[in-house]
Amino acid sequence: MSAPIIWIALPFIAGTLILFLLGDKYASQIGGAIAAILSLIALFIPIDAAMLIGSVSFKISPAIQVFGRAFEFTSADGPLLAAIFGISAIWFFGADAAGMAHRFVSLGLMIVSLLTASIAVEPFLYAALLLEVAAMLVVPLLVPLHQKPGRGVARFLVYQTFAMPFILFSGWMLAGVEANPGDLRTALQSGVTLSLGFAFLFAVFPLYSWIPQLMDESTPYAVGFLLWALPVFTVIFALGFLDRYVWLKNTSQIADAILYAGVIMTVTGGLLCALQRHLGRIFGYAAIAETGLFLIALGLRTPNLLDIAFLALLPRGLELSLWALALSIIKRKAYRLKLSDVQGLARVYPVATGALIIAHLSMAGFPLLAGFPSRLALWQALSAQSLSAALWAFLGLSGLLVAALRSLASFVMADAPPRWELNETRRQAAMLGIGAFGLFLIGLFPQVLQPFLSSLPALFEHIAQ
Amino acid sequence: MLILIPCLFLFVPALALVILRATQPNARYGWLVATGGAALGFFGVFAWLAVMPFDWILPAWQPLAVFPTPISFRADGVSWALATSIFALILSILLTGAIRRVSVHSFSWIGALALGGFGALAVAANNPVTLVLMWSSLDLAELLAQLSSAQSARNNERAVISFATRIAGSAFLLWSYITSFSNGSGYTFQSIPSSAGAYLVIAVGLRLGVFPLHLPYDAGSALRRGFGTALRLVGAVASLGALGRGLIVPSGATPFLAFFASVAALYGGWMWLRSPDELTGRPYWMIGIAALSVLSALSGSPTGAAAWACALILAGGALFLSSVQDARLNRALLGGAWSLSSLPFSLTASAWTGSLGFFFPFALAAQALMTAGFVRHALRPSGDDSLADQPAWARGAYPAGIVLLLIVQLLLGFLGWDSALQIGNLIFAPAASLLALGLVWGSRRFRVLNPARAHWVSAAGSGINGMYQGLWSMYRGLARLGLAVTDALEGEGGIMWTLLFMALFISIIAGGIQ
Repeated sequence: MSAPIIWIALPFIAGTLILFLLGDKYASQIGGAIAAILSLIALFIPIDAAMLIGSVSFKISPAIQVFGRAFEFTSADGPLLAAIFGISAIWFFGADAAGMAHRFVSLGLMIVSLLTASIAVEPFLYAALLLEVAAMLVVPLLVPLHQKPGRGVARFLVYQTFAMPFILFSGWMLAGVEANPGDLRTALQSGVTLSLGFAFLFAVFPLYSWIPQLMDESTPYAVGFLLWALPVFTVIFALGFLDRYVWLKNTSQIADAILYAGVIMTVTGGLLCALQRHLGRIFGYAAIAETGLFLIALGLRTPNLLDIAFLALLPRGLELSLWALALSIIKRKAYRLKLSDVQGLARVYPVATGALIIAHLSMAGFPLLAGFPSRLALWQALSAQSLSAALWAFLGLSGLLVAALRSLASFVMADAPPRWELNETRRQAAMLGIGAFGLFLIGLFPQVLQPFLSSLPALFEHIAQ
Repeated sequence: MLILIPCLFLFVPALALVILRATQPNARYGWLVATGGAALGFFGVFAWLAVMPFDWILPAWQPLAVFPTPISFRADGVSWALATSIFALILSILLTGAIRRVSVHSFSWIGALALGGFGALAVAANNPVTLVLMWSSLDLAELLAQLSSAQSARNNERAVISFATRIAGSAFLLWSYITSFSNGSGYTFQSIPSSAGAYLVIAVGLRLGVFPLHLPYDAGSALRRGFGTALRLVGAVASLGALGRGLIVPSGATPFLAFFASVAALYGGWMWLRSPDELTGRPYWMIGIAALSVLSALSGSPTGAAAWACALILAGGALFLSSVQDARLNRALLGGAWSLSSLPFSLTASAWTGSLGFFFPFALAAQALMTAGFVRHALRPSGDDSLADQPAWARGAYPAGIVLLLIVQLLLGFLGWDSALQIGNLIFAPAASLLALGLVWGSRRFRVLNPARAHWVSAAGSGINGMYQGLWSMYRGLARLGLAVTDALEGEGGIMWTLLFMALFISIIAGGIQ
């Protein structure tokens, strides 16, 4: 068995089978179990190394060829795959509690398999095509059958599609720059084209307008999944670019452009988050601000760049899944998700509102929670490089904090407070409780992520040097 | 690990009470569990004395390259004095709580125990990252305790505002730590860089828990006196403790901070002296004593700052927990005035060993006002509880709780830390004491020194409410602006705006690269 078949073909086939053969009842458990098993395999069984169990010897081969293109995983990819499928499992297990198991799990598995393929494909520029196909598969996830897509979905697809030609074109130009390093004009053009491509992919300011629109139009859980999956794989794709064309990273202007694009994204996302009156849009802007932090990490001139970037990437899945699940539960009671509609809800849905606030605080970098260690590491490195950039990033995250406090105030304020009661189902309460516990665990002991982080320098060896 | 053990004596009973509440709501031994744990914790903290100073360092955060500062706690003279004060207060709250008519006993006991445990860990924190973690634990515990017992929209709003203000303080501490990396590496409290000192003072100021002025409980709530005292004082001491851990190196901002601290001390002292009763005046007590603590720290006396923090919790705690009209206990409360006097061998003897300079008279006046106010409130406690109709054990527990705080005040003047057995400033202390005596004498003769009328007190509150309304209006204005921006970007013309911005960015990037 080869690694690409296990982590690309298998989840894609499983997703297809769930779509056509299973109903709502078992989709969540089976999809979650498949993702969890794939995660455990990635964690414990090394790729391209012979294993002996009893008298049976086996080996996961690293690559396969498809139409002349290679899909290849190395042993260093194992922890990364484990993290991706582990977080996917959390999303799929939570889908039932969020009330959208069948289509979400099946399409989700397919999307994750395509995005995983984008890590493995050689030549790596083909990753742009796979990201585009994954973006297309997101559309049926966001838009229910027989419903006209809204403006947010259309804009999302348009922007993701714009990204692909820019990145492919810049890849072609960069090959020319490598052949002729003295050609500054081509280098400039390729830099601008590449920046545009990634600007669309990362949804930098002002290209992120589709995110809050989607939060208005679609179910929070589906959008949350999209906001986890796409930026995470885009960061990995971008790291691949920087690793391959090291001169890009070493060009101070390009590194600064990446860093300040991130700062602008964090600041605008944070400030606009603080000014929203809709819980869904607050969620969207918080995700934007955090994506800005990824960009800041990519723009850092420090040998610890990979550690910092992945410290921020890994908890994002848990934060967003917890937040999206809590929002989905709250939406059943307060469909419009306006702050004025959720007043006093803390006493009616204490676990969901509590989990939402914890996830939000974590994303804002509140101490004790999973987001704090990564923010701390980022601020330390950033202040050594540019104190003003660190201040702006700090202010951006303060915007998230203000939004969290506003949400909290709305949840607990009611003129005639109802009695405390528990209206979440046991499954919902358990999922939310486990998620919140996970955020505290990572926040207090970030070393639990170390098994996933330790092999990263081998994945991007030029950046790590 | 020895640092954690006394705290566990608070955390474990708190957890036990949570379980008891869920499994046996009518259990009658909850008070005994809580008080037993608090007593063990109080005596356990004396074990620190045998091995001080010592550190407790948690397993390092990884990757080590990005987390150079470990989570560490340090037991030294200052942290021991502050932790002892906190443990004494928690034990005293539980002992005096035996006579209070509170319907939600176990909630307030759980809250007080948790606050005490986190507060003790906070005063032992050895670097800003550890402190910010402990402060945040304390904030979450306070928020949960307040939200679970507050009953109206207004009181819930107060709880959230209090939480927000404290987070703002933590943010300043974090920023002080981050800025230190621009000069090389992070810092511990043994070596506070000059750039961090001002942020540290602002952080402490914001975290005192003074804003909002009043706790999220109605005036008649029994929670105000027992649990409310823990809420107010433990958080304040956990914040002030940071000033006692290291010397704040003077910087350009020091005179401005000293000026604001002097104004706050005078304001707090004046309002405290003229408060109608001790619970109404409690925010001013905290403002006044905390400002004196900040002045001590800025004058170069960190142990003085810690001594004021101990006085805030011990002298204040004894006064605020007194709810029984008993002549002997009222006279015993005057022991707190000794602690505030900064006379030789008193708790605050080391307060003014630094250089106050221009701010000497302000500190003198503020200390005299605080002491005079304390004497006035000690002689006229406002409580209306009675010991007569209490069972014998409660009649013994209540005075023990008050006397415990008085004994600890005296004890800290003589042993255990750098501030013990100090002669202090022999010019300042007698002058402040004489002035305080004069104010006590004058308060019976001059109307201006008499308690303010109720509408005066509410005027201060309305000023803060006005500020709050102003901030809220500004926020609404910004929200309208934000809405205009998002409407423009998300509307029909959004693509055009986006293209415009993109063209702008490309020209900037291209210009930069060329």
